[in-house]
Parts: sequence; structure tokens; C-alpha cells
Amino acid sequence: MSLIDEDEALIAAALNGSAFAWEKLVKRYESKIYNHGLRLMGNSSDAMDLMQEVFLGVYRNLHRFRGDARFSSWIFRIAHNKAVDLNRKKRLLAGYPVDSDNEGDVFDSFADEEGEEPELELLQSEQNRNIMAMLNILPFEQRLIVELKVFQSLTFEEIAEMQDISENTAKTRFYTALRKLKSVTEEYHVLS
Amino acid sequence: MSCPKTPHILQEYLADDLTPLAKEEIDKHLLQCEHCASELEVLMLTQSQLANWQAERVPHWDRGMELFRREHRVGKQSSSWFSAWQWMPTAASFAMLCLLIFNTSVEVGDGGFSVSFGSPVSDMDAALAAFEQEQRTEIDSMIARFESRQDTNNLQLMQAVMSQTQQATVENLDQIYAYFEEQRRQDMQLMSQGYQQLADSDYATVQSLQELAQFVSFQGAR
Ligand SMILES: [Zn+2]
Repeated sequence: MSLIDEDEALIAAALNGSAFAWEKLVKRYESKIYNHGLRLMGNSSDAMDLMQEVFLGVYRNLHRFRGDARFSSWIFRIAHNKAVDLNRKKRLLAGYPVDSDNEGDVFDSFADEEGEEPELELLQSEQNRNIMAMLNILPFEQRLIVELKVFQSLTFEEIAEMQDISENTAKTRFYTALRKLKSVTEEYHVLS
Repeated sequence: MSCPKTPHILQEYLADDLTPLAKEEIDKHLLQCEHCASELEVLMLTQSQLANWQAERVPHWDRGMELFRREHRVGKQSSSWFSAWQWMPTAASFAMLCLLIFNTSVEVGDGGFSVSFGSPVSDMDAALAAFEQEQRTEIDSMIARFESRQDTNNLQLMQAVMSQTQQATVENLDQIYAYFEEQRRQDMQLMSQGYQQLADSDYATVQSLQELAQFVSFQGAR
């Protein structure tokens, strides 16, 4: 709560042409957005693309930010939309069909994103590499819910509103995703 | 051993809007049913494993600064225009000082335009004293106006800060700092206006001093 006012002061100053305020604002959120992108997109170059798109979107729409929502939720909403767009583009380019609701069947998207392991080597933390490998077995929609629920701590109500789905769908998707991840966790614990 | 209730139980357990009654019911089931309990344990373990994520460092990038600077060049120009105004009062004061120290008189004669230093007439002292008195009262009243405006500004600022900090549950220095930053920026704008006013009035002073000098030399020439 305590950062709201400072965000607003920075936004006001940036709108007034202060490059210093803009940079401070970007610095405050870049790590959150970049890490968000890493987990969602599964590799650092897409995460960088996403982050740059997000801040460009923020820059272009800063004058529209009214302060009736928190800036952090506003920027994550932009990030969410950009991530969905980027994922769609990526899939179209790769020749995959854009996957719609494919929950229920646990195994239909196991081989979803392959060949991205070299990218994972770039990560600093081995733990993060494991987490990314786990998340990468999920179809994008489920990964998105896990991201919003576990990492952004949103409620199912907020997630449902954001993704224009019912609250029940959001809950089911999250549960399905966790069950899928569970199988990997069990494997991981047997191996270690 | 499996349980038909598992999906329902776990999904409900993960929901964030669980009523106390429903929670109690689920807890009761979990105590009785080993299968659901162990399933839940693994799900929680999975969640906590994900939550172990450590923030990765952002690779170097430009932060949109180039774009920002390019598109705000207009704003920058206006600020350099402001700095041109900044030295105006200094220049005006210096000119005024020169006029006072050297008792400059400007004479326009047959040979054209000539400037001489030193007091050509004794009337000069009296005229200057009167002029100085007039200027002093004017400056005093100007300072008083500035001070009263500053006082109300400070009072408003204090009140705003007080209400801001009361609203916040945690007193945050960062927040106050940002607030003061914003105030400082506004003050800078006010100051630039003030400078401009000062520059204008100084300019007027120089002009009237020159007029005075001309008047005195005109009197002396008579
Ligand atoms: Zn059970």
C-alpha cells in the first residue's frame, strides 16, 4: 500500500517530461515484469521482448492511468495482455494451432514447448531452471493461471475477471495445472 | 485406495473464498481420508516448490530512455529557456551596481553619445537617496509578499503530509520523499516564475536608474 503515492508522483513527473522519474518507475517494475515473462514465456529472449513491449505500452498509455487502480495491477494487466498476444504470435509463427481450452486431458500438451532447454542454461538459479522446466509442461492457459495465482497472489475472482472466464473455470484450470505439476514434483523427489 | 471426493475436496481447499463452515467440513474429511490428505500434501508441496522462485537479474537494456528523451525534447528546450532567464536578475543587479558605483551619467551632446563616470552635480546624492528609499520600501513589501506566500505554502504542505501519513498504515519515508520531490519540482516552477518577475522588476530598476541618471545629467547641463 505504501508505494502507491510514490508511483503516482513518479508518473506525474514522467508525464511532465522528467526522464529521471520515468527511469525510476521502470527500475521499480522491470524485475517483476521480466521474471513474470520468464515464467510465462519460458525463455529469456521472449521475456525481454515481453518486458520491452510492456514498458512501451505503459509509456504510450501513461496519460490514461487514472490512479483509480493501483499502478502495479495496471502494469500487470498490460503484461498479461501482451503475454497472451506474444504467445499467440509465437504459436502462429511456429505453426502450432493456437490452443484453446484443452483442460481435462492431462497428457495432451506435454510436448508443448520443446527445444528450449539451452535457454534455461542462462538462468542464474538452478532452482529457477527446475521451476521453468515444470511450468513449461503446462499449456499456456494453465501456466497463466498458475502465474497469477501462485506468483501474483490474485484471487480466483480477479483471475476470472481478467481472463473473461468463469470463476469455476479458473479454479478447475488451477487444480488441473497443479495436478499436472504434481506428477513432475513426485518424479523430482524420487530422483533426488 | 482412492476417494471419489478428491477433486472436489482439493479444489475447494484451494479456493480463496471458502466459508468457515465449508472449511470445517473439508478439514473433517481430510482427517478421515488418507488419500485426500496425501494428495493435498503433494499439491501444497508443488505450490511451495514454485514459490521458491528467486528473482533473476534483468539483462541490461535502455529502459526506453532514448524514446523518452526523443519525445520530450520540446520539454527540455523550455527548461534551457528557463535557465537563460536564471542569470537575468544577476546581470541586471550587476548593471545596477555599476551604475551606482560609478555614478554613470549618459549625455547626449552635439558630438553624439557620451558616457562619463563620477558625480557631475551635487543634486545627484539627494536624488539617489530618495530613489534608494523608494526602492527599499518596494523591496520590503515584495519580500513580505513572498514570505506570506511561502508560509501558506508550507502550511498546506504540512497539512497534506500529515493527512497522507495518517492515511497510510505504515509510515514510509520513501513516500514522504517522493512527495517532497514533487513539491520541490512545483517549487522550481514557482521559482522560475519568481525569477522572471524579479528579472522584470530588476530590468525596470535599471531602466529607471538610467532615466534618473539622464535626468540628473540633464539638470546638471542646464
Ligand atoms: Zn477423500
